[in-house]
Amino acid sequence: MQSAKMEPEVALLNASLVPDIFPVLAAAHKALVSKSRESLTTRTLHSELVYNYAASKHISESLKRCGISDQMSYILAVRFNASDDEMTSVTNLINGKEIDLEELEPRSNRDQILKHFKIPPQELAISSLSDAITCRIAARDAL
Amino acid sequence: MDTCQTGQAELGLLIKQGAEARIYLSSFVGRKCIVKERFSKKYRHPILDSKLTVKRLNAEARCMTKARKLGVVTPVLYGVDPVLHTLTFEFIEGHAVKDILLEFGSNGIVEERLNDIAAQIGIAIAKLHDGGLVHGDLTTSNMIVKEGTNQLVLIDFGLSFTSTLPEDKAVDLYVLERALLSMHSSCGDVMEKILAAYRKSSKQWSATMNKLAQVRQRGRKRTMVG
Repeated sequence: MQSAKMEPEVALLNASLVPDIFPVLAAAHKALVSKSRESLTTRTLHSELVYNYAASKHISESLKRCGISDQMSYILAVRFNASDDEMTSVTNLINGKEIDLEELEPRSNRDQILKHFKIPPQELAISSLSDAITCRIAARDAL
Repeated sequence: MDTCQTGQAELGLLIKQGAEARIYLSSFVGRKCIVKERFSKKYRHPILDSKLTVKRLNAEARCMTKARKLGVVTPVLYGVDPVLHTLTFEFIEGHAVKDILLEFGSNGIVEERLNDIAAQIGIAIAKLHDGGLVHGDLTTSNMIVKEGTNQLVLIDFGLSFTSTLPEDKAVDLYVLERALLSMHSSCGDVMEKILAAYRKSSKQWSATMNKLAQVRQRGRKRTMVG
């Protein structure tokens, strides 16, 4: 279980659960707002992003499910306000090949996403996966 | 992170003010969005006021996500802010059903479009009601037809609540009926088309329809006989 406490600080997400970059941006926005109010639920800004993306109130479970494990071979690395140098050191941190963000959609694991976010077929008929996830991220604290 | 400038939060461009909230146009990580800010009621005690407003905010967010899970098209929720008392939604490009019907009233009815809209309304309400959700403010200004896809989107779940009682569902439909009668009678009997679609899609329509007949008998300028 990774909760991103290293130099440079970076959020590492299980990319199979990411169909599109927008929900990640929503999770990031939320994390930034919490940070600006000194009301983070997790220890760092970047772990907060992972926690927010999971759209669940259970912290360690969220970090475990949406974060990465040692065996994982498909990772999304996210960093706030990153300089080129910082992104280079993030790339060096990961032993792998960098691919385009457009690969997110085809490489996402649809069934895993439906299961993790509990998206019913009625909702899928009227919404994209990205929108369904974004709603859950936004409404988590209201539920 | 500049949501706070000189103490007063800049929420965006104010485009509407209602009885309960102000609506702003803004952008959320690059996408056009709507920010709905619920007022603070100054006559209330400040702590109570904040708690109540946040409670209503959360209820609205919950009801919207529930509606989505039932297959009813609503705007995508982008964020909920309990400190600023705001909800941020996707901006829906299109016209409110109210404006479309008013246009029909003045420029002539497009039969096919009217039937399509009425059917979609009936189906959407049926899905809500069958799922135990009552919208609470069914009027034509709370329904938008999306540009391009012509899909009906329901908005403003600020007065919605969970209920399985036929009474609550009937009142929900009655509110819509009165709104249509008062504003759009020049479009013909739209409510009948809506109810027809409702009956077809809902699994629990008979109890609700019976109640609706009763509810119609109540109200102003009605004599309660029998």
